[in-house]
Order: sequence, then structure tokens, then C-alpha cells
Amino acid sequence: MTKKLNLSDISYSFSKYMYIVSIVLVFLVFTIMSPQFLSLYSLQNLALETAPMLLMSCGISFVIFTGGIDLGTGSIASCTCVITGLYVSQVGNSIILLMLVVGCVMGVINGILVSKLKLPSFIVTLCTTNFWNFVALRLSPSGSQIIPLNKRSMVNWATKDVIGFPVIFWIALAITALLYFIQQYTVFGKTILSVGANTRATRMAGVDTDKAQIAAFVICDACCALAGAFYAYKLKSAVPTVGLDLNLLSIAAVALGGASMVGGRGSVLHTLVGVITITAVTSGLEIIGCNALWKDIIIGMILILAVCLNSDSKGRDLIIK
Amino acid sequence: MKELLFETKGIGKTYGTNTVLHDIDMKVYSGEVIGLIGENGAGKSTLMKLICGAEKPSMGSMYLRGEEYHSNSILESNHQGIGMVFQEQSLVGALTIAQNIFLGREKKYSKAGFVNWAAMNQDAKKTLGQVGLNFDPNKKVRDLDFAARQMVEIAKVLNVVTESAEGHAVILLDEPTTVLSNEEIENLFKQIERMKKEGNAVIFISHRLDEVLKVTDRIYVFKDGACTADMNTKDADESVLYEKMVGRSTTGEFYHEDRQTAPSDDVVLEVNDLSLFGIFNHVGFKLKKGEVLGLCGVEGSGKEALCSVLMGDEGQTSGTMSMDGREVTFKNPCKARRSGIICVPKERRDEGIIGILSISDNIVISHMEQISSRGYVSGKKMKKISSDWVQKLKIKCVSINDRINQLSGGNAQKVIFARALESGCHILILNHPTRGVDVGSKEEIYSLIRDITEKGNSVILLGDTLDECIGMSSRIIVLKDGVISGEFDFPAGEKPSQFDIVKMMM
Repeated sequence: MTKKLNLSDISYSFSKYMYIVSIVLVFLVFTIMSPQFLSLYSLQNLALETAPMLLMSCGISFVIFTGGIDLGTGSIASCTCVITGLYVSQVGNSIILLMLVVGCVMGVINGILVSKLKLPSFIVTLCTTNFWNFVALRLSPSGSQIIPLNKRSMVNWATKDVIGFPVIFWIALAITALLYFIQQYTVFGKTILSVGANTRATRMAGVDTDKAQIAAFVICDACCALAGAFYAYKLKSAVPTVGLDLNLLSIAAVALGGASMVGGRGSVLHTLVGVITITAVTSGLEIIGCNALWKDIIIGMILILAVCLNSDSKGRDLIIK
Repeated sequence: MKELLFETKGIGKTYGTNTVLHDIDMKVYSGEVIGLIGENGAGKSTLMKLICGAEKPSMGSMYLRGEEYHSNSILESNHQGIGMVFQEQSLVGALTIAQNIFLGREKKYSKAGFVNWAAMNQDAKKTLGQVGLNFDPNKKVRDLDFAARQMVEIAKVLNVVTESAEGHAVILLDEPTTVLSNEEIENLFKQIERMKKEGNAVIFISHRLDEVLKVTDRIYVFKDGACTADMNTKDADESVLYEKMVGRSTTGEFYHEDRQTAPSDDVVLEVNDLSLFGIFNHVGFKLKKGEVLGLCGVEGSGKEALCSVLMGDEGQTSGTMSMDGREVTFKNPCKARRSGIICVPKERRDEGIIGILSISDNIVISHMEQISSRGYVSGKKMKKISSDWVQKLKIKCVSINDRINQLSGGNAQKVIFARALESGCHILILNHPTRGVDVGSKEEIYSLIRDITEKGNSVILLGDTLDECIGMSSRIIVLKDGVISGEFDFPAGEKPSQFDIVKMMM
């Protein structure tokens, strides 16, 4: 049987692969404008920039899959970046694990407020964000503080290149793979998506939806905390404002990856592509020498275009909550 | 002579490689009521969607008043004189009745962006009056009950279509009577009669054959995406229609009474003095192994609330439940499932199906914990489990990876049953298990319930109709105003009349 293609079908399947199209376009455009873009040095730099963002976006993917949102990702990163930057010289590298624990605690707080008290995650995280910001600024009131030069040897490993790319990039990639596995092949991952697709029906099917929501926040906030620690390693200082732009940028990357903002649909792998696209745009613009003022506008326009292509104008994926 | 109002020629619809409807030739004359019947998934709803503009046909053409008819949206169809009342309603709860009726057409009442609400309300009242309703148009739709909303929806569509189109209109009604009371159904039929007298045509889908026979002039029967019969209503009767629809002739053994199990003496669930403040009080009963226990009562008798307490969706205010002699409390439905109670919920679309997930995910979700090892779920295992169920319950689908919201009502309900059965729970609470399900699937579900009890599991049934409850149950508990007002034991072959039970309900 021959299938007659019509325009709406084409645009529908196009929107399904939009995230691939956009990353190819971005790389193509920058390579044409400046062949430097594909040089090893540039790619290494890209990987280094990507690593912490990747962690944050993959983490927040899980919250978005449940139909929630976490506006505090950047602030958590700021918070742990400051703690790591200030104390890594005394505690040593095990501070990374400590930050993971801190992130988990933050996630439990957010998750309990959202699931048990039935508060909207938008409001909860909007409020807790202030708290993380307070901690960051309180600990480092005079702005950024660098890690003492004589202790640098302790943190240098993170940005060293292994097989061509920095260590933290490989770590972030490994965690992404782990998260993809969790999302695709575990009870927890499947529960998360079904909570996002229809919370009520999932509850009626005898699934502990509260637990799933809390766990999603724990994963998200732990990832963000780790990202914050990576920022400290990357920048070799405690920067209390490092996460300011990242709150929304990490969400943007998930949107660019084609995840549904009301939950139930998406993939960590798509988020990976989204993150690389966004960081490629940022660093590409730097390479071609674009005025920094234009950067945000261009990113904003790309996002709107991408989300437009991805949007479900036909109501095909309408979710009933 | 009657005017040919609407016609389809060789119309059909395919999704990908899946043909759900092919070669439908249909003629609708003005002043005629057409019945469309067929099992779920037979293609009736698809045809309706094509006619009302919600979907575009993949082949064939349609003619309205002799001219070729195209439509890109429901709104466009409305303007041309075709309106549809959806099975699943399209009203906005937070708006008033009047606002809903004139939604998208406020222009008529507005000046410089301000709406003259008084005028709108007045017109809304007139419109409601036309269909015999006496509601305050200022009332919020969410404060109306389901049946009232349905009537408002009908009023709205009628108004839209008759106002915007010249000449006679075609009104499509997709199972309008499912949620209406007898009195309201009477009223609806009166409205259909009125529309007919005015020269409009009505296309009426229903699963209730008696209604179709009563109200229509001509009947189209659908089976597997094709039209199998086109007959005048006066030449038809229930058994003929049933045979055409299902392809086999009907037997009186609808409820498989011969397979009704005699309950054993083992008590699997004991409920003592259970109360939910303000809703029901001091409810106590024993559920025995392998029986179907029917819960009857009118709306507001507390049976729905009792059901949600039993399945852990709500906590009781006082009283105890014990399973196999051990006392249990359910904090949430998850705890109830782990103890062995699961529910097939009433509102399939909101509480049952997880729409954008696959059929396979939907089946396995309640049992994922058990089939996983250390949190890992094998895709192969999931596939096997779900294909087994799809085969066993004869769920009609192209692939188990399809989204469940592409299935028809009956098939989706079977998926929900598969989920409940797969969960391994030995007590099933079936809350209106056959709501919105066609006759063929209904019978399959009844037979399935018999299978369940034959295996020694127990069922608590809140029937869609009293007849169903009596036919299926081996014992019935009647609730009235939150207390148990009667209990009936009935072995197979000694069923009481509906009258005896209704007496206790009222």
C-alpha cells in the first residue's frame, strides 16, 4: 500500500527530529563562518563548557518529565560552587561527594514540599531558590574568591584532557548515560514519565507517585549540586553568581531537546543534544567575535524557533491532567 | 419530496498503514434521524470526526446540499451547518453557561472590547429554553452535574449551527445518552424530534439498541471500518442489528450466569464499622473468596466514596478493614495494591489510561515493581507480558507500542483490565467497568469477570446499570444515604427483580 504524504505529516515528523536538525544547523553555520569552530582546541573548550550545564539539564529533565519545574537549578549550583571553592583546599576532593549529599537534601526538601503538601513546584522552587542564593552570597559576601594558588594542584585534574577531552566532560557524559539508563530501563524512570503523563491515573494504578516526585527532585538537585562543584573546579574559584543565567538556560536546553513542558514525554539523550546546541551557539558566537550583547538575543531567537518547530500545534499530544 | 442534505461518497480514513474506515457511502435526507451503530473501534466515531471537520478524510468526498464539502476545523463545519456534540465534553468548567454557549462568538455582544453580559445571558436563556432547559445562564459549568452539562452542550451546538448556516443543519450526537437519566433521555428525544420537524437531520450514535430503534428512521451498521448494513428502522429489531454488528447472533446468556461461582467460606476482606465523615457511616461487610459482590445505590448514596476508601484513595475517618485476618490501613492506592486490592476506575480518560504512553507501558505499570530485578525492567519481559494480554483479551491494536489514546473505548478498557489482572491483586474493585463500552466488548468483559472469580479472586462491582449488577453479582449490598439498607444473596438462577432492589435504594 502506498502511503500518501501530506504536509502536516511531514511537519509532524520534522518536529520529531527537530533537535537533530537544529544541532546540525548550528554546527554548519558556525563552521562556515569560521572553520576554527571545528578545531580541537575549540571543541575541547566546548566540552569543558558543556560539562556542568549537561549535568544540570539532565537533572532537571527528570523534574520536567514528571510535569514539574525546578527554578532553583542555577542557585543550587551557585551555592555548591561557593562551598566547594571555599573549602576544597581544607576538605580535599571528597568535597564532591559532600556536595552530592547536600544536593540530595535540597532535593528532598523540594520534593516533600511539592508532593506531600501538594504545592505547585513552580512556587516551591521559586521560594527555595532564594534560600540557596542566600547561602551562596552569605558565604562569599565579597564576590568571587579564588582557590589559593598553592592548592591549585588539587583541583587541576578536573580540567586535564583525557583522550582529548577534559575529565569533567567524561564524568558528565558518564552520568548522562547512567541517567538515560535509569529513564529508559528502570521502574523509577518509567514511573516518572507516567506521573508526568497522567498523575491521577498513575496513582489509581497503585503507583507511589509521591515517591517518584521526590526522587525526581533528588536526582535533579544532586546533579545541580555536582554541576556547582564542577564550576568551582573549572573556574578555580568560588563564584556566588555563577548560576544566575543557568536557571533558565538549563530549562531551555531541555525544551530544545524536544521534551514536553507539561511532562510525560522527553529523553535525557535529547537533552544532551539540546545542551550541546546551546553551548555551541554561545561559544560559536565568541569565536566569530560577536558582540556579547547580541548573544542573549540570538540564543532567545533560536530557542523560540526551535520550540515553535517542536510545538504541537495540532493538539496531538494533548495531555489530560 | 425530501431533500438530500448530506452525502458521502467512498469516504475513508487511514492512519499510517492502518485503515480504520473505508468506502463509506452514506446519504442523509433532511428531516431524518440516522442511527449509527457498531462495536467500539468499528469506525463510527472516526466517521463522525471526518464529517464534523475534526479530521480530514484520506479518500473519498463529501457533499453538503449538493455542493462538495470541505472542512479544516470543527468551527468551519459549524459555519457550514454541521455541528457535533462530543461524547467527551468540550465545555470550559470555569466559565458560565452563557459564556460557554457563545464561546468564540462574543463579538455579537461586545462593543469596544466590553461584553454586554446581560444581553448574552438573555439569549443564552432563550437557547436553553429551546431545548427545554431552565438553568440560570450565569451559573458556572463546573457546578453542573454531568448530565446537565451534556444538555448545555447540545444547546450550544444547536445554537451555533442553526445561527450560522442557512438552510437545514446536520447535527451529530455521539453517545449522548450514556450519562443521562431516563427523564433527561426523554427530553433529548423530544429535542431530536423537534429538530427533525424543522427539517434538520440528526445523526445519532448509541450503544443502546433500544434507543436507536426508538428514535431513528434509518440505521447504518458498522463493523471493522466498513458499513455492513443500511436499513429502515421499521424493518429492524434488536437481534437483527446485533447479528449485523457482531457477526454472530445474540444469546440470552449475556452475563454468563451459568458460570457464576458459589462463594466459598473464606473471607478475604472484612470491613467493620467503616465511616467517612459526612458521606457514609458504619458500613460493614465480608467479601468472600471467588465472589462478585455488587454495590448498589443512587448517586450520593456513598458507594463511590466507599469504593475510594477501599482502594486507598481516601482515608476513612473511623472503622477498620482487615484482609485474611490481618488489619490493614491504606495510606494511598499504592499500599492497597501491595496488599492485594486494585481498582478499575470509573473515569477511564482521567483516571484510567495514561494517554500518551504506550499500550505496553499502560499494562505493565501496576506490576513493574514485581517484574523488575533491582529496579531494572527488562524490555523483552514487558513486551512478552503485554503481547500476551493483548492476545488473551483480544485487544485490537496495530502494535503494543502504540499510544493508548489511539484505542477505542472498549479496547482501552480492556487494557485497563489487563493492567489490573497483571498486577496480581486478588481483590478487584470494578467501578463501572462497562461504561462507554460497546455490546461486544461488554460481553467479553463479563466473561472476563467470570474468569477472574473462577480463579478464586474476588470482585467488588459497582455496575453501570442495575441490570448488570444483578446479572453479575452473587451478593448485593444496597447503600442508601451512606448506610447499608439491604443485602441480597442470590445464587445463579434465582435473581431478584430490579424492583426489589430499587425499593431499598430509594
